[in-house]
Parts: sequence; C-alpha cells; structure tokens
Amino acid sequence: MKSISMLLGGVALACLAGLSATTAAEAAGPTCKDGVIRLGAVSTITGPADFSEVPEAAAAVFDAVNAKGGLNGCKIEYTISDDKADPAVAAQAARDLIDNKEVVALVGSGSLLDCAVNATTYKRKGVLSVQGLGVDAACFNAPSVAPVNVGPYTLSTAMAYYATNQLKAEKVCGFFIIIGGTQEAYKGAIETWEKISGKKIHLLDMTLPFQGDLTPYVIKARDAGCDAVIQNAVEPGVVQWVKTADAQKITGINWLFLAPGYTQEVAKALADSTQPVYVGTEWEPFTETGSAANKDWIATMTAAGKPLTAFSQGGYLAATVMLDVLSGINGEVTRESVTEALQKMQPKSYELAGTPYVFGEGDRHAPMQATKVMKLDKGKWTVETPDWVVLPSAN
Amino acid sequence: MNALLTSAVAGLTAAGAYALLGVCAVFTFRLVAVVNFTGAAIGTAGTFSMIGFISLGVPLWPAVVLGILVGTLAGALIGLVMTQWFSEATATTKAAVTAALLVGIVALGLRLTGGQSPKEFPTLFPGSAFRLAGVEVTVASVLTVVLALVFTLLADAFLNRTRTGLHLRALSERPMAAELLGVRVRILALLVWAVTGAFTTFALMIIAPQRSPDFMSLSLLVVPALAAALVGAFRSFPLALAGGLTIGIVEGMSSAIDGISQYRGILPFFVILAVLLWSQRGARWDEAR
Repeated sequence: MKSISMLLGGVALACLAGLSATTAAEAAGPTCKDGVIRLGAVSTITGPADFSEVPEAAAAVFDAVNAKGGLNGCKIEYTISDDKADPAVAAQAARDLIDNKEVVALVGSGSLLDCAVNATTYKRKGVLSVQGLGVDAACFNAPSVAPVNVGPYTLSTAMAYYATNQLKAEKVCGFFIIIGGTQEAYKGAIETWEKISGKKIHLLDMTLPFQGDLTPYVIKARDAGCDAVIQNAVEPGVVQWVKTADAQKITGINWLFLAPGYTQEVAKALADSTQPVYVGTEWEPFTETGSAANKDWIATMTAAGKPLTAFSQGGYLAATVMLDVLSGINGEVTRESVTEALQKMQPKSYELAGTPYVFGEGDRHAPMQATKVMKLDKGKWTVETPDWVVLPSAN
Repeated sequence: MNALLTSAVAGLTAAGAYALLGVCAVFTFRLVAVVNFTGAAIGTAGTFSMIGFISLGVPLWPAVVLGILVGTLAGALIGLVMTQWFSEATATTKAAVTAALLVGIVALGLRLTGGQSPKEFPTLFPGSAFRLAGVEVTVASVLTVVLALVFTLLADAFLNRTRTGLHLRALSERPMAAELLGVRVRILALLVWAVTGAFTTFALMIIAPQRSPDFMSLSLLVVPALAAALVGAFRSFPLALAGGLTIGIVEGMSSAIDGISQYRGILPFFVILAVLLWSQRGARWDEAR
C-alpha cells in the first residue's frame, strides 16, 4: 500500500515536472512582432563573378522552415541584394536592407566586396553578418562579420601546414596573386604557418599575374627546389598552372591550391595530368555525396532543386547557424536581440565544418580553422584526409 | 645571369603568341586601315566554338575546321559592320568602334561560356620541341614563332609583289579613289576581315591550352599584340614580329627580377607609351620650331 502511494506520488511529481517544463517552453523561444523575421544578404550575382548559389541555398533552408510553419510561428522573410561587384551598389544594397527592409541580421552573403565596403556600416548600425562565403580580407578582419567558411588566408596556412605535417615537405614555397589589399592577409597567413611549424617559407612570390603566361613562374619554383607550392589562383589559373607544369615536364613538386580550385570542371580539365594536385576545401567535400555530414544539406538542396556545389554548402551552413541562434532567443527577435545572441553564443559544432562556429565579441572572427584535403586522381577528386586537418593555435 | 636566360627562354611561349597576333594586327591595319581591338576576341570565339563542337561529339580535326569557319564568319561579320557603317570614318573612330565591340564580345562570350569556369582545350600540337636553358620549349611555342615568321614573309610579298596586294593597299590608303578606279572595295575588305578571322582563330587554338582558359583572358591578348604592332608603327611586319618577341621575352625575364616582376603586366603599356613618345618626338620638335 505504501509503495503504491509512493508510486502515485512519483507519477504526480513527474506530471508536475512535465507540466512546468511545457510552460517554460511556451514562454521561451523567439517571438516576432508582425509574424515575420526579416533577414538579408548582399551578394555578387552579376558582374565578374557569380556567387548567387550561396544566398540561394540559404533561401532554400528558410523556405523549408517557412513551409513547416516558420520558426516558432514566425515566417522568415529573406531578401537577396545583388551588389554587381560595384562598391557603390554594394553600399546602397546594405543601406536598403538595413534602413528600408529593416533586417535583423545579414546571413548567407557571398560577395567580392561586401565586407570591405559594408563592414563598418554593419558595425555602426549594430547589425551583424553571418557571411556564407567570406572572400575579401575584411570578412576575416572586422567585428561585424564572422564567415562560416575558412577563407583563402586561413586555408593558405592550413595547406602549408598539411604540406609540412603530412606530405613532409621541406621546402614550402608560396606563389600568390595579389588583388586589392590582400597582400598583408596572405603574408600574415604564411607568418602564422611559420609560427606553427617552426619552419621558414623557402620562396614567397606575390607577383603572380592574374593573366599572362605562367611558364617563368613554374620554372622559378622548380629551380628554387620547392617540394611543395601553395598557390591561390581561381579555376582557370589552376588549370593553366598545372598544364604549364606538365608542359615543362616537372616532377617531384606537390601543387597545393585553395578552395576555388575544388570544382568538377577543374578535375575534368586536368584529367590527363600526372602532377600531384591537392586542394583544400572550405567544408565537408561536396563531391562526397555519400558522406553522412552532407546528408541534410543534400536533402535540402535536392528538395529545393538547387545545385550541389561548395557555394551552396556555405549558404546552407550560414542559414542553419542563423536558425540555431534565432531559436535560442527568448523573447522578441529584434536587431538588438539577434546581435546580442550572436555575440554571446557558445561555440556550436556542425558536421559540415571541422571546427565549431562561434560569432563572439572579438574584433575579428575566423572561427573555421579546419579543412579536408582533396587530391586529383584521373579527372576526379578523392578525399586525401578523411579526418579534418585542424590548425593548431599559433600561440 | 643563368636565371635570366632561363626566364627569357620561358618567356618564348608568350612571345610567339604576341608576335603572331601582332603581325595579324598590322595586316588588318595595312589592308583595311583599322586598329582592330577585336582580333583576339574573334579568334577566341572561334576557339570556344571548337570546344563546343567537340562536346557535341565532333572529332578533333573536323571541330578545328568548323571552329575556324566560325572565326572566319565572326571576322567577316565585324568586317561587315566596319565597312557598312564606318568605311568613311577616321582611324580614331574605327579604333573606338572595335574597342566597343571588344567589350560587347567579351561580355557575351563570358555569359555564353560560363564565366570563369575553365574549359578543356585540346592541345593540337602536344609535346615539347627541345630543351633550352632548362626550359622545355613546346612544339606549340615553336609553331607560333614559325607561323608569325611565315605570315610576315607572306604578307610582305603579297602586298608588295601582287596586283591584289596593290589593290588592297590602295583600298586602305585611298578607299574612295580605289573605288573610283573600279576596285571592288567592299568585297576585298570583307575578304581581308574573313582571312584575318580565320588566321587568328587558328593562332588562338594553338595558344589557348597554354593560357588561362577563359574568354576574357584570351580576348585580352590583343593588348600585347597591339603593343607589338605599334613597335612596327602598324606598317612594318618584321618590326611587329620583333616587337612581339621582345615583349614576351622581356616579360619572362622580368619575372626573375623581384623588384620588377610585380609590374610585369604593365610592360605592354610601357612599350606602347615609349613607342608613342619616340614616334611623336618629330612632331613635337616641328611644332616648337
């Protein structure tokens, strides 16, 4: 009898506990004034480059949430602005999103110059940007922007680290194309690697032309005795560099490129090459369609009819981060509450990336510090490092 | 010193391309009196159509022929625009028109060929010819230099020794007088445009696998080519040939010298400026007197 009453009491307590938990859950969570949460992105869509896949993927994530009734009942209204790679247009787009569209945060932007042009505006207006694809140096050097990608500078450090650590390279060389004010950032990347590895860069050439013949540079790398070369060209430049190395019958140098070289087109164009070509990825390799880490991204993109590219991973990840941060807000979602939530957030791990994402209150942000290295093998990319290559802290 | 020689030889790849396109530019100017900014772009269009045909399943050499045909048509089309509307215009106006056309063709080309995403260019003449100063000189580079040389000799002979050549010179220097004398101006001009279109297309097909494989980079090869043509004052084929070779080799050498190499992209402009200043020095003195 006694035991029964104890049991009953226990059940009652459990019910009470359950009840209080439910009420707490109802009080918690994000709310919104007129039923919508406004977000925006400034991206280069027309112009010399097309990064539209980044915000389009973020839009696909938000559409999926809206289709299920929104975030805690709030619909997400997502505006994508084209900056046309023009500073004036980019500044105008940011002002329009902030002042007229009244966005609470920026998310999933992928642009050649958004950070450089708008980072100070974002800071002044108290609005933060979870960049889907940080390209220019300012994206990794501003208090108002924290990209979800590793970016070319940290990736240069990571590839040099991989060269010394796993390829056992002794004479690491760097050949960089310098556009705009990126020289300091690349120099810093190499210095960071020197601190981590305790080695000195064997040859650093920052005069690589964007267009023109590369033969003299490839020869220079060979004659200097480099055994690994880090190079930051975009797709056509990667193809040209490797073809030039083939034409010069160079052997014994590992060529390491950054994420822009990691595309199916590059692999196809270099199918006949025998050069050892490596690329560093920004996220879980997108060509690995069977990987568990890619599963949800693939499902979301396929459902929305979006292409499965590295760019779309960036947009997807940025949107996912933003949804997690928004879900953690107790009370009304405003610019202030989102900014506070991003600044106070705890580092959160995502399967698509090798290190946790965190925004935080620092003066600059580069939360992503890991890459997976892919190797070119007869026209296909194969995973060279199934485990993440995580950069140790330089200090 | 050795490093300089090595990088000079490495510059040969570019040198052949510049010389070949430079000689083509002189050819166009002497025959139809147009400083043609679209030269390389026409060739690029033809070359990209070749890859288009290959991706449709056409075998390599038939695709090459079809590509050259497209380049010929593109050249003739530009020629049609120039002869139809601008035959009486000044040289400055004609140059401006072709510069505008270049911008248009590049924009259209980039859109149609998928912007920066690289294309696979078949190497028509694979392998290396010989090794010099530690550099593999490819068959393609040797071929471009040889073609430039052949074109120089042929063009000179054609213009100075044949009747059609004489007609063509008359056409470029006094189009009205030539027409009054019964020279079939329009047809001849169109023919020149078509022939240069075909030739630059073939040249670009050889050059393309060694360059950045996108539409814009290939079209902009016209800048060093025009610099080379300017060395020959748009008149002399041998000087244009020498100019192209020099620019390429100097460009190669400059990459070995640290202080200069970051400015190597502006070398063609520097050459253009230097040649202009030199060629205008007389005029300046005359004015001062």
